[in-house]
Amino acid sequence: MPRPKPKPKRKAKGRDKVTIKIPRELYRRLTTLIEGTGFGSVTEFIIYVLRDLAAGGKLEQEAGLSPREVDLIRNRLKSLGYLE
Amino acid sequence: MPGKRKVAIIGLDCATPQLLFDRYLSDLPTLKRLVRGGVWGRLRSSDPPITVPAWACMTTGVDAGVLGFYGFRNRKDYSYDGMAFATSAAVKRDRVWDRLSREGLRSIVIGVPQTYPPRPFNGDMVTCFLTPSVESQFTHPPELKGEIAGLLGGEEYLLDVKDFRTDDKKFVLNQCYKMTEQRMKIATHLLKSRPWDFFMMVEMAPDRIYHGFWSHTDPTHPKYVAGNEYENCIRDYHRWLDARMGELVTALGPETVILVVSDHGAKKMDGGICVNEWLVRSGWLALADKPSKPTPLGKCKIDWSKTRAWGEGGYYARIFLNVRGREPNGIIPAADYEKVRNQLKAAIEAIPDHRGKPLGTKVLKPEEIYRKTAGVPPDLLVYWGNLDWRSVGQVGMGSVYTFENDTGPDDANHDYNGIFVMYDPAHPGAGRQLDGLSIMDVAPTVLRLYGIAPEADVQGKPITY
Repeated sequence: MPRPKPKPKRKAKGRDKVTIKIPRELYRRLTTLIEGTGFGSVTEFIIYVLRDLAAGGKLEQEAGLSPREVDLIRNRLKSLGYLE
Repeated sequence: MPGKRKVAIIGLDCATPQLLFDRYLSDLPTLKRLVRGGVWGRLRSSDPPITVPAWACMTTGVDAGVLGFYGFRNRKDYSYDGMAFATSAAVKRDRVWDRLSREGLRSIVIGVPQTYPPRPFNGDMVTCFLTPSVESQFTHPPELKGEIAGLLGGEEYLLDVKDFRTDDKKFVLNQCYKMTEQRMKIATHLLKSRPWDFFMMVEMAPDRIYHGFWSHTDPTHPKYVAGNEYENCIRDYHRWLDARMGELVTALGPETVILVVSDHGAKKMDGGICVNEWLVRSGWLALADKPSKPTPLGKCKIDWSKTRAWGEGGYYARIFLNVRGREPNGIIPAADYEKVRNQLKAAIEAIPDHRGKPLGTKVLKPEEIYRKTAGVPPDLLVYWGNLDWRSVGQVGMGSVYTFENDTGPDDANHDYNGIFVMYDPAHPGAGRQLDGLSIMDVAPTVLRLYGIAPEADVQGKPITY
């Protein structure tokens, strides 16, 4: 039996989206995480989180270390004798 | 054939050949079995022979100059205080597991220096001792962190020994054992619960024990006291570690090619040379106010208009020249750079020891030891007394020589050669000793076992026998 052609409207909508694969275990955990939160689906939740992250414009600073983290590493290296 | 091989690297930071091969081997049945059935030798470390850059040189196959970092902290630019830590972000090249990821092969990576912050790859990772704290995201994937917490039953994961400089030696030793035990537990768990093609872990405890206890165990060390309670603690730790390695080898399975390696060796430390104190006394470095007590150079007011050079402390010294047009207040004309640098090199090489005898200091120019010098290299690298002495950057010490480390006890310095053992069940080596091995040979050796060619500019050569 020939498959019915998709409606043009749906096809146009699909062009605005892409499919991203995530590990199944992560998907399972997110399903549990969003229970009772008002997010209708894992997709909805992921889009919310990623939009929020992207709104920041950049991902942390150059080396990925905050000033506090730099202090923690410096103190450990001093204690170990690598730095003074 | 790619995908069929399993290769494992067991990394022991600082594990030194004169102990493991020359003195302890008969006490270490696991290592002995791998040595006797495989090939082994001394593995020449990176320059400088220090954890950072050494493990990165090993896992990329190129030298520190190509990588563009020369220690834990590097100059970001030619300002006087712009320094940055060499984190995982500083390693701009593929490490073995990155390359394997692109071939669809899966890795388990635990504790390898310069893996924080973790970068996505095909496999599971627990980052290294350069992770700020256990609050940080120290695993890939992130959910592995919770799994580790469960595995350790609520015990805090030890990224490293806490409070290493304490005089409470028993506390330090206990933490070294605990740290190794935790990492071995995580390793065994991941090997049993994950599919994998490549495994690598680095255990830091040997380095910590050597630095903390060498003087207690080495009769030739100036501070050795016969009959002290830690007389055999390095040997005892290695025996215990060998038994844990035996369990790990079982978990790796009989078909796996196993490498046991270290990033550098160790030897007794005779004392410290106060590099900036010497530069001040010799007219190379000018301080506006001379401190009356030991003070880090960074806290001193330096008169840059009269300063030609300054240095950094650590297990070796880095010397920087104050060059006009390069440093903000540089005074050495660019045209005189080489002449001045040679003059300083000769002067440093001539510094005698505290008794007036030759020290045998090695002074190296970066462009003579590296294929290229990316980033901001030091103008000179100095191995005091051929690494028998450490470098002390503080001023106000009252002498160029020091025998007390004011940051706490430290008994050992790094040595040029680490260890290399490779056991391939499909290609026995019959205990053959190999010479001329370089730390940069490890990455291409591993890739070759999977039938993968390294990048064209990799400096190391696959180890064959």
